[in-house]
Amino acid sequence: MSYFRITLHRSAIGLPERTRGVLAALGLRKRSQTVFHPVHPQFAGMIMKVKELVRVEEVDRPLSKKEVKAERTPEPGFYVERPAEGGRVGL
Amino acid sequence: MFGPFRITNPLSGGLLWKIPWRLSKFQKARQRRRLRAVDSVVETLHNALAKKGQTLESLERWKAEMPTEQEMLPKDKYTIFDRKEKRYRKGIHKLPKWTRVSQRVNPPGY
Repeated sequence: MSYFRITLHRSAIGLPERTRGVLAALGLRKRSQTVFHPVHPQFAGMIMKVKELVRVEEVDRPLSKKEVKAERTPEPGFYVERPAEGGRVGL
Repeated sequence: MFGPFRITNPLSGGLLWKIPWRLSKFQKARQRRRLRAVDSVVETLHNALAKKGQTLESLERWKAEMPTEQEMLPKDKYTIFDRKEKRYRKGIHKLPKWTRVSQRVNPPGY
């Protein structure tokens, strides 16, 4: 089972109600939001309607919200060698 | 200086056409990039559905009727047919929402 990974790249402000309705149906509310939908002609047709606004990839499994966030979070720039005395365990 | 009686070119009765009649090279480059982005979305959909042996009417029509960015003539990338215009062509940036709509084919012969 493969999925479409759909990211809203361009805003639909000022575009017809039909176009904004398609985005709402896909579950896209704001720019650079990512949603996953199974590869199916129904979803492909919806993507065709908004192809100028989105970026699409085909992926094997849908990522959770946390995983998508982790992808675009930059490296913190440090790592914890040893937790401080009396510090929280497991950090 | 300010107020309703200020002297500016449009208010002095002169026509000031502030939207350039053609795209700059940077606008053209971005236009080509947007065209290629749409091509890649269509290609992704086509490949994904082909793997499952499924088809989509609108996708097939797009593939059959619309040229890709490489196949398009520069004339069609950057200008659009207009019957009211001299020589029947105007810059594509006169098209409302031109960065977010697909406008690829023009009447044959123009």
